[in-house]
Amino acid sequence: MVTLSAQHLVKRYGGVVALADGNLEVQSGQVVALIGANGSGKSTLSKIITGVVAPNEGQLLLDGQSVSFSSPLAARQKGITAVYQELSLVPEMSISENIWLSHEPMRYGVRLDRKAMQKRAQELLDLFKGTIPASLTPTTPVYDLTPDERQIVEILKAISQDPQLVIFDEATASLDSAQVTRLFELIEDWKSAGMAIVFVSHRMDEIFRVADQATVLRNGSHVGTVDIAATSERQLVQMMIEGAAALEREAREPVAAGAPIRLDVRDLTTEKLRGVSFDLRDGELLGIGGLQGQGQSDLLLAIFGAIPFQGALTLSGRRVHFSHPRQAMKQDVAFVPGDRGNEGLLLIRSILDNLMLPSLREFGTPLRMQRARSEAGAVSDDLSLVMASLDAPVNSLSGGNAQKVVIGKWLLRDPKLLLLNDPTKGVDVGAKGEFYKLLADLRHQGTAILFYSSDDEELLGLCDRVLVMHDGRISAELAGENVTRENLVAASMGATHHDASHHKEEPTA
Amino acid sequence: MNQANFRRLLARNSYLFALLLLIVVVLINYSRQDNLFDPSVLNRNIRVFLPLAILAVGQAIVIIGGGIDLSVGAMVSLCNALLVTWITPETAGGDILLAIGLVALVGMAAGLLNGIAVAYLRLQPIVTTYATSFIFAGLALTILPRPGGQLPSDMTGLYRRLIEVEAFANIPIIQDISILREIPPAFIVIAIILLLWAFLRQTRLVQYIYASGDNAEAAYTTGIPVQRIRLGTYVISGFFAAMAALALTMSLGSGSPTSGDAMTLDSIVAVVLGGTRLRGGQGGIAGAMMGVVILGVIRNIISFYDVPTWSQTLVDALIILIALAGPGFVRYVSDLIRRYRLQGGRAA
Amino acid sequence: MTTAKAKRGSFVPNFTSRLTPPLIALILAIVLFLLGGVISPGFVNANQAINIVRLAAFLGIIAAGQTLVIISGGEGIDLSVASVVTLGAILTFRLTDGQDALILPVLGLVMLVGAGIGLVNGLGIVFLRIPPLVMTLAMAGVVQGVILQVTRGELEGETPDLMRTLIAQPLIGPIPGVIFLWIGLGIAMWLLLERTPYGKMLFAVGINRTTAMLSGVRVPLVVVLTYAMSGMLAAFGGFVLLGFTDIVFLNLGGRYLFPSIAAVVVGGTLLSGGKGSYWGTMSGALVLQLINSLLQAQGLPEATQSIILGVVLLVLISIYGRQRAFRL
Repeated sequence: MVTLSAQHLVKRYGGVVALADGNLEVQSGQVVALIGANGSGKSTLSKIITGVVAPNEGQLLLDGQSVSFSSPLAARQKGITAVYQELSLVPEMSISENIWLSHEPMRYGVRLDRKAMQKRAQELLDLFKGTIPASLTPTTPVYDLTPDERQIVEILKAISQDPQLVIFDEATASLDSAQVTRLFELIEDWKSAGMAIVFVSHRMDEIFRVADQATVLRNGSHVGTVDIAATSERQLVQMMIEGAAALEREAREPVAAGAPIRLDVRDLTTEKLRGVSFDLRDGELLGIGGLQGQGQSDLLLAIFGAIPFQGALTLSGRRVHFSHPRQAMKQDVAFVPGDRGNEGLLLIRSILDNLMLPSLREFGTPLRMQRARSEAGAVSDDLSLVMASLDAPVNSLSGGNAQKVVIGKWLLRDPKLLLLNDPTKGVDVGAKGEFYKLLADLRHQGTAILFYSSDDEELLGLCDRVLVMHDGRISAELAGENVTRENLVAASMGATHHDASHHKEEPTA
Repeated sequence: MNQANFRRLLARNSYLFALLLLIVVVLINYSRQDNLFDPSVLNRNIRVFLPLAILAVGQAIVIIGGGIDLSVGAMVSLCNALLVTWITPETAGGDILLAIGLVALVGMAAGLLNGIAVAYLRLQPIVTTYATSFIFAGLALTILPRPGGQLPSDMTGLYRRLIEVEAFANIPIIQDISILREIPPAFIVIAIILLLWAFLRQTRLVQYIYASGDNAEAAYTTGIPVQRIRLGTYVISGFFAAMAALALTMSLGSGSPTSGDAMTLDSIVAVVLGGTRLRGGQGGIAGAMMGVVILGVIRNIISFYDVPTWSQTLVDALIILIALAGPGFVRYVSDLIRRYRLQGGRAA
Repeated sequence: MTTAKAKRGSFVPNFTSRLTPPLIALILAIVLFLLGGVISPGFVNANQAINIVRLAAFLGIIAAGQTLVIISGGEGIDLSVASVVTLGAILTFRLTDGQDALILPVLGLVMLVGAGIGLVNGLGIVFLRIPPLVMTLAMAGVVQGVILQVTRGELEGETPDLMRTLIAQPLIGPIPGVIFLWIGLGIAMWLLLERTPYGKMLFAVGINRTTAMLSGVRVPLVVVLTYAMSGMLAAFGGFVLLGFTDIVFLNLGGRYLFPSIAAVVVGGTLLSGGKGSYWGTMSGALVLQLINSLLQAQGLPEATQSIILGVVLLVLISIYGRQRAFRL
């Protein structure tokens, strides 16, 4: 039995307070969900508990005794470990080497026991049997793995340490629903075996499926802890956001009949896509759904010219074949990537520089800075970007505001076709609402929007037409009243259109 | 799929390209020098390569661990200066061993300075080791202001003589292969280093060096003492620099305050030729040693092909450039083919 | 947001945030100069100051291309600058052969040759993915080889008088032309980095190549162009250096190789790329030259000078060359 109690933890970075009053209590056989909007201090609290970050104030009690961890290793020796979202894997090493890194089974005390490492890694991989490809073996190098497979290795790595307490930090973000279901079954097993679990997540449905209690943080402070059985989604959301800005979504509306076709895609093929065809009209918000990694990113990247492809693209009636994003941009195409930090932003540069980046050539040589500044200012006003000034670095912004910069840099170019790759991933509830409103505004202005989201609710609430992808093809096209949760889920799992919808499936010869 | 397998094969055996290159250059050399494999000739060649080969081992370990060491050459100079200062033709056997031990400690202390600056003060490795190289070079110059000194002839002789293996003299096939009957001492040194590495490769320490070099952040959160590991790689490099200096001193028989300076950049080129990437986390020391031999044999070839004096530098540099470009060229062409296939025929 | 409030906070954080590395280096340079006066009286005077700035100018000009390459990231570094400097000087020496009229055409040719060498560096780095360190090192060997092959060690030619007059000798008052040239280059580099699309793209490429590509930046083009410019600026550096040295020798640029990197780093440009300035490099060059002059003025033996230089360099980079800690 183990009980961990975090009391009044405080963490400051320079003048910025990341965690003002962090409290959390969890014990063996219990799953506690740790929730809060972006920047509410969840990650900081998790990292203090696992010894990655040192707190400035407060104390950590393990079984009633005060402890302080000087490193992740020290926390692990007390049976505390974490499954990280920013992965802690070493790419050049194999799955088994990664799982056993720093607690390798040894032979004669000096040599690694590779046989034992591989045998036990296989046993761990078998826990997820059926949800991961059978081709994965303990000797597969990690650089060959997809994000969901890496996340699973990350989970197994934590479990291999026989921990007493595990923190899952957004560990389901890149898993598909079958993998999530399997993970929740395993969590039940581990729970009854006496493990204490802290589950950090943005996904409400998951919290209600797996957690016993929820601890809510807001602006770095503990708001309250409630029993899941005695609460509702609405109540949790209200605890997370001040003033309870409700989760209002723009009612979806059909496209004006006869709007011109902006984009026509025929037989698009890449390494992952196996012949995708569809069209998109001006002012339409076309959703793309399906499990993660079914080729949705490839589809958007290929249209944007960022990866090589084969097939016919027609943009406003003209055949195009972009081989670099620059060419797509000249035709008023814009792409908002899902991974802000790695694909969308230059974190140490100013907001102004980030907003200018795609439009630099338009500002001439030498750059007309006055014009750039006024245009960037206008866009950031439109987006109600909360910032110190345009010259502040982007990494001083909260997650939601940073995402606004990623979108804002394209609004500066007035795009006619907007490609969105899971833009609300990891964005808090309040910022999501503003984002939905922005999409509605853009539609009214006639912008064609192709919108991939891993959040089914979003697709259901916003789109009048949804393409569901499975294994590199469009497995179903849902429209009108067929856009239902049941159809979406069924098509995601690869069910044929007979079960999923009455709509005609595109031929994918 | 085939391409992925090929890539994996190369990734797992990063020295494959180096091995291929090594065979090619040795064959070219052999075509002009048919006594290349005579024990005495081989001994003369490998004896010259050995100091750099030892040095490249230390460099490779630092690079695998995610750093780089621009001070190795100056450390060799410093240790070379110390060796000829402490050992004279009159020095007794025991004192010679003591001197060698002390020099090894000096090398490790120099590495410790690098390691503390890089791992604990978190300074950028390139500029840090560049700065410390001035310190080491200055010390070398202080200790030995001008070239000189002399080692006991026993010591230099030890390095030059072939080691006769009596036991092999009567075994039918082996007795016909002269190089197995008379083995150059450098071979023994290389064999010991490779065997030791094969053993160490299976220990936690080396596993951690690879992990720290590949993804330091991940290694740290996993509980690996990354800073101590980094420090360790520089100390190891210092030790190998001292050993390289010993080999160099025994080979030259005397000392010079700048004897090792030119070896720094060669050691890095050798490591890269051997298939170790500069970003760390991958590669090995066998490749680095092959890289050294490739560099040496190229220089041999140049002299045996009667390349005019004024053209030697150019030919040497061009061959090295081509060798460095080799793996990238293969990859570039295979990428082009893949792209072509994707746009030409349907991808499977 | 908290940032809005923090901005209006006390004077101290505001002041420290303005104390950027280039400024620290510049203050350090002035302190060192005054320190020189304390240690060896007579060190501080106008002539000495001009002499030091003049010497720093050569290093600063040679380090200009290095600054761009290091900002471009991807382990970017250019070890071929020294050989290209030598080549630039030798070409100018030989082709002008002392004729003033040929200075401009030869300068054009020299810069073109330098750009060509840099171009090959860039192509090898981008398309063959050879690490910049070894690519440019091998290229340094090739350039040195070409010099030997072509000249066969016989360095014939002459430096045009006009070059000497314009570069090394006092031009306006006691100030030699090279200092004006350096200031001009500093302004040009600032414009290039801060007021052209190329400059902004260079920083973007140095910070995050995926973001840059997805924002429409042609990353390979920017990188290749940067190495080409480095080659061109190094060749220009050789041309200018000739005006000072008057004669050429085979290892003319050699002693500028690592100092060109050190000047960039001391000026606060990150070796990992994406952050830096040329004005930082200028301050860095001044600091390095001052340390050198100070050490020489003491009349210390070469060995001691070397040790002190190493220690001072270590101290300098430890002021702000530190990398991020794991544990926050």
